[in-house]
Amino acid sequence: MYHYRLCFSKEGDLKFLSHLDLMRTFIRALRRAGVPVAYSKGFNPQPKLSFAAPLGVGLEGKNEYLDLYLSEHREENKLMESFNEQFPPGLKIKKISTVELNQHPLASVIGAALYVANLPAVPPDLPQTLAGILHMDTLVKVRQDKKNVKKVDLRPFIYDLKIKDVDGKDTLFMLLATGSKGGVRPQEVLELLHLERDTEIKVYRQDLFILEGGTLKNPEGICSVYYL
Amino acid sequence: MGYNKSNLPKKGLRLVTEIDISRLLERVRKPASYLGREINAVFKKLGDVKVHLGLAFPDLYEVGMSHLGLKILYALVNKEPDFYAERIFAPARDMEDILRKEKIPLFSLESRTPLKNFDLIGFTLQYELSYTTILNMLDLGGIPLHSDQRKGGDPFVIGGGPGALNPEPLAPFFDFFVIGDGEEILPEILKVFAHWKDGHDRRGRAAFLKKIARIPGIYVPSFYEPLYFQGKFYGMKVLEKDAPSVIERRTVPDLENAFYPESFVVPYVDVVHDRAVLELFRGCSKGCRFCQAGYIYRPVRERTVSRLKELAGSIINSTGFEELSLSSLSSSDYSCIEGLLEELEQKFGKDYVRLSLPSLRADAYALRLADQVNRSGGVTFAPEAGSQRLRNVINKKIAEEEILEAAHLAVSSGRSHIKLYFMIGLPTETEEDLSELTRLVQKIANLRQTAGNRKHAFKVTVSVSTFVPKAHTPFQWEPQLELPEVRRRQEFLRQHLRKLRGVDFTWHEAEMSFLEAVFARGDRLLASVLERAYAMGSRLDAWSESFNFPLWEKAFAGEEIEPQNYARYKPALDDYLPWDHIDTGLSREFLKREYQRALKGDITYDCRERGCVGCGLENCSLRQVEKGVPL
Repeated sequence: MYHYRLCFSKEGDLKFLSHLDLMRTFIRALRRAGVPVAYSKGFNPQPKLSFAAPLGVGLEGKNEYLDLYLSEHREENKLMESFNEQFPPGLKIKKISTVELNQHPLASVIGAALYVANLPAVPPDLPQTLAGILHMDTLVKVRQDKKNVKKVDLRPFIYDLKIKDVDGKDTLFMLLATGSKGGVRPQEVLELLHLERDTEIKVYRQDLFILEGGTLKNPEGICSVYYL
Repeated sequence: MGYNKSNLPKKGLRLVTEIDISRLLERVRKPASYLGREINAVFKKLGDVKVHLGLAFPDLYEVGMSHLGLKILYALVNKEPDFYAERIFAPARDMEDILRKEKIPLFSLESRTPLKNFDLIGFTLQYELSYTTILNMLDLGGIPLHSDQRKGGDPFVIGGGPGALNPEPLAPFFDFFVIGDGEEILPEILKVFAHWKDGHDRRGRAAFLKKIARIPGIYVPSFYEPLYFQGKFYGMKVLEKDAPSVIERRTVPDLENAFYPESFVVPYVDVVHDRAVLELFRGCSKGCRFCQAGYIYRPVRERTVSRLKELAGSIINSTGFEELSLSSLSSSDYSCIEGLLEELEQKFGKDYVRLSLPSLRADAYALRLADQVNRSGGVTFAPEAGSQRLRNVINKKIAEEEILEAAHLAVSSGRSHIKLYFMIGLPTETEEDLSELTRLVQKIANLRQTAGNRKHAFKVTVSVSTFVPKAHTPFQWEPQLELPEVRRRQEFLRQHLRKLRGVDFTWHEAEMSFLEAVFARGDRLLASVLERAYAMGSRLDAWSESFNFPLWEKAFAGEEIEPQNYARYKPALDDYLPWDHIDTGLSREFLKREYQRALKGDITYDCRERGCVGCGLENCSLRQVEKGVPL
């Protein structure tokens, strides 16, 4: 078995695909491309691929990651080409690298995600609200889903918030916890900043990171980061 | 409740541009259903094509994308460079609200063209409860509901599929109907249309309709007037000299060489049947007397194993689907089913492409076939009736021992779930038949004892629907059981089945089946009820969350039509029926004979096993007896 790590983007109309939709799209592209993907054993064999972190419906992802296991070796660039030939516009493999087989799957080590939002209008008190949040020790909010209402401290999940000028436009950068140890959704942060009603604000996920000893590491360094 | 029909202005409708769509999709629950940018979707420049056809399915994307007929016609039309077929589905309520509020017309998936800008819109009529959704889609798409209100630039609205075999309740809303298989006739229509469009200004709609009324299999309802005497229907008057008095059903004589798609659109979202479909054969010769499909798709026409294998290869390569469904009305009756399974297994097994066999007979042979493709999961049987007597009445030729043997095999081969389909309200049914039904379920549920340590996981699901008499079947002369009695029999079953361990009981809403029965044998007078129910807010009625029976009752009352008269309609055998001008090719004598045999409990053999039974079909290779010759 051979372990590959793929970096891909999901953009444009395809941002409306759910995580499961995306998985189906990958699996069917693999079959069309004739890629010898490895399958799990058992009654109901499943192709061995796992995404680093599900991306919500409606969000674009610039650098998303996926672990893929093949039963035969394939040259990385060839593999990338055959994928991209089979993808609809909006979905693109940016880089593929080979990974040692004993490596942990990304899903278990991803700890942070960088979300970026354009800010068509910056409310005057936004920088203050933002600084205020970063100064707090705890920030307890009520989360409600179909079944439960529970209180969650969101503060530990917010690593950094920044407003920067990108090409003359105000842009909000949100570095947030994600993955198996809990996290916060970008929409929840926009609510904290009182920006949730601005329908002109578009959020996308720029990148995912592995948390290692308190520092952020780009997965295998296979995609460039322009943050921090 | 209460959508005003006129709240969509016909002028100044906005077009959905690339930028707009994102703004729409951000606000709906299932945005990816409206994207239309799937793998294998066909894109053509509108300026390059002569005929622009909308293929509309009057239900949500996830239902419509599971329908084989649509896929066949989509690929068939799009292989012609001059023709362009696009898909159109009903919007869910949240999307409809946005479209209406922002005055955006319903649009096609591919080019996002408003319905009113198409040349023709073809609706598939799969079930009666989709009829108000058709009106909603026309209205949302900016097309006048009535064919006589459509003018120059408006599209022609076409109906096809099983519902077209009794088109009368929909007659005022459609320009024409296509009766039978679409593979040959649709290109014929489009060619005539292209010619008409080239040579004429588009105001002469009647000229086009007159032309196509001469094509066999086309029914232009505005050329026919139903005749009534003292409220009783007694015949059809032909108003146009070139229109035929009887419209014959079209069949593709040779399925082997008929067009079949080598690629399907691959949905992003999880649709109801999310898999590649291989149609093994069309038609069914079993002769179950309640089953309309068993009569209106005759004769049985098979594809060869080599053709199927070739098609399967292309379809899987072009779609990447992980499952291939071997589809037909009764797949285990395909004459080379074992050879086919073996070959496909060999071809795809190593690539992890699963095969699936829907529509299996409830016998051990079929179950062994099912085991061959997949031994896990559940299995579904449709004995339809609980007693042997009643199974004879409906001509479901399966013995209790066979059902039990199959069920036993299912349990012992490791399956954890058996689903059983039954109908209640079948002609001649008594309480004794229902008691037999519960006894049969009991016997199957008892098999869990043989499941050893898996017995706690073993489940039997009993799903009961209500019999709906359908046009062009031997039961077209039979009334539906009245609603209170349906509810009483459902309750009887519920009381008896709840005592059984490991048995779940589900049933179809009696009111839904009632409405189906009304429209399945309806006449043209019912069109006003459809329109009223739609105007009152009825749509997507097949979904129980949107089905509103009190609204329908009001719509009937508002039109002063008693729905009972339709559901309980019991015409004399020689009465002229509202669908008698549509000719399926089966002889009336045959249907009568089948009806009488049913009431006596006599079964009729499968003609493919024991020779021709004289159904009257002329283009059938098994035909040996002339029309009307008794068995």
